[in-house]
Amino acid sequence: MLKGFSTILLKELKELMRDPKILIGMIVLPLIMFPVLGLVMGYAVETAQSEALKANLLIVNNDTENSVWTNNFLTYMNYSMNTVVVSGLTPQQVIEQGLLTQNNATMFLLVPEGFGANLTRHAEGDFNVTGSVTMYGVFNAGGGIFSGAGGSSVTYLVETFNRAVAPDMVNAAQSSIVKGQIQEGVDSSTLGSLMMTQAIALPLTIMIMLTYAMQIAATSVAMEKEEKTLETLLTTPVDRFAILMGKVASTIIVAGVAAVTVLIGYNYMLGSITSNISGAVGVNVDLVALGLVPSVGGYALLGVSLFFTLLSALALAVVMSAFSENVRGAQALVGYIYPLIFIPSMALMYLDFNSLPLAVQGIFYAIPYSHPIIASRAVVTGDYLTVILGIIYVAVFTIVIMYVASRLFATEKILTAKLAVGKKWSKKPNE
Amino acid sequence: MGFAVEVTSLTKQFGQITALNGVSFKIQRGEIFGLIGPNGAGKTTTIRTVCTLIKPTSGSISIFGLDAVKQPEKTREILSYLPEESGAYPNLTGWEYLNFMAKLQSAPGTNIQQTVAEAAEICGLGDRLKDKAKTYSKGMKRRLLVARSLMTKPKLAVLDEPASGLDVMQAYHIREIVKRYVKEHGVTVMLSSHNMLEVEFLCNRVAFINKGQVVMEGEPRELKAKYSSENLEEVFAKVVGYA
Repeated sequence: MLKGFSTILLKELKELMRDPKILIGMIVLPLIMFPVLGLVMGYAVETAQSEALKANLLIVNNDTENSVWTNNFLTYMNYSMNTVVVSGLTPQQVIEQGLLTQNNATMFLLVPEGFGANLTRHAEGDFNVTGSVTMYGVFNAGGGIFSGAGGSSVTYLVETFNRAVAPDMVNAAQSSIVKGQIQEGVDSSTLGSLMMTQAIALPLTIMIMLTYAMQIAATSVAMEKEEKTLETLLTTPVDRFAILMGKVASTIIVAGVAAVTVLIGYNYMLGSITSNISGAVGVNVDLVALGLVPSVGGYALLGVSLFFTLLSALALAVVMSAFSENVRGAQALVGYIYPLIFIPSMALMYLDFNSLPLAVQGIFYAIPYSHPIIASRAVVTGDYLTVILGIIYVAVFTIVIMYVASRLFATEKILTAKLAVGKKWSKKPNE
Repeated sequence: MGFAVEVTSLTKQFGQITALNGVSFKIQRGEIFGLIGPNGAGKTTTIRTVCTLIKPTSGSISIFGLDAVKQPEKTREILSYLPEESGAYPNLTGWEYLNFMAKLQSAPGTNIQQTVAEAAEICGLGDRLKDKAKTYSKGMKRRLLVARSLMTKPKLAVLDEPASGLDVMQAYHIREIVKRYVKEHGVTVMLSSHNMLEVEFLCNRVAFINKGQVVMEGEPRELKAKYSSENLEEVFAKVVGYA
């Protein structure tokens, strides 16, 4: 064994474990955060399963021949899923008459005229003839990463029917219903899996951007305290609010640049998805027309939401770092805010926000850092009111934090107060 | 003509801790006044209170006739403060730092370029002023900061441990700067120090502070004679009862 290793190891462990910031930041927080995320993800899966179980499959049977094979197929589908059968309707009529909502369904299967006759010919040996059905799945642009996954269950059922009867007897085509518009030939599950990138990328980017920006702001103030340049500044004949505003204004500029950078990257990403979808399904899909890409106004609102959220995070970082004595302490203090950024970001990747219980929605609304993620979904679905209310809430939160910061800078607390873990506010004389 | 600084019955409580317990002293115009005491005696708290950084629990501070407690903004216009072990902005060059501080510290209408040139002359850093402050040695940084605190010719310069942690030559240089500046421009200086040699070399008068109280005040020579001591260190030990 290396001479002195165990003594040094013991000392290092004591130093680290007795630092409450490390204890809380590295041990207690993960112990709380990951179980909370586990609960959220578990809830998301459970909700998706229970909704799938509750949902009906609407079958539009337009095959007027009433053949044995059509009946066999419908019986098979009914055996595996709760089905509701209607007939004599075009896909557009199904949507216009609101039959999906009336029948608690998120998709319908169109069985066309001549379907039974084709199956009969196939069964008699004419294997070139197959029966075709089309699945129309509602694509929920505001859902989490499970959105658009429903269509795959019907495709699976058709495959099992073929396996039981004859290979390739029934061919299932996929189409989507986006915001009440039928998009022929576009698979809703493909659309969903491609849009999953959107569901994950923006929350991840926001999460990284917020934590990074907060670290920069906290370090900036803590460095001033550590180097005692703040003490020097506070004794100059300059308005103390100007000192604070100078710090915040510089972070506003950084925040503005960051928000624009995110939007440019986000727009580029959506552009890539559009071309991918066109390539994948062989049809030209206009995502803008379908409402799956924010409009110019939507982008502007998303930018404002991002900007205010960043501003509030930066202001909070400035306030929190005022209660630390050095850079390390400031970074640790700001770290306590991270769960409020990580949990909404990660949770909203998996969850359809609108399907959450009101109490849970309320908790997410109360966390300022949820709002740009909620906004990113809302601008796609056209729910601009939610975005605007979110911006107002975050702006008010920011004003409150800024007021607290200005009070801190106006008094000696900026130099003497420090936040001690497990204690109340305490003041520390230098000498 | 009144005193440059008049501190009367200053007290400061931090919760249960009494940092200052009736501190009183006076500083003449144009003199270098030293505040001496051990760690935790209340030197920095006194200095921070004089510099309007913290408010006293009770007592009064008059700086060139201004009430520092009630008129902190006005007081800040005539003083300059150098905190103990302070630094400069690491990513600004020496020139940029001096320029930035000159703009904040100077009265309206002041020629900033001239002020910065004055600081450059005081610190003697020459071309190194074009380099970022993070590349400076401790002594160079301190010279830059001392120059910063004197460049605007404040009525009162408050220097907390101006040569703390510096080697003999660097400390000597700093003391020479302070002495010369006071002589040439009539700036009043209040400084704190642990270094009794520094205090003897620089100060016209000193005050010993212990446990939040001024326990003795006078000229170094007078105090040494009074306590039959060879240096201020011995005087301090006798005054507080260590010797």
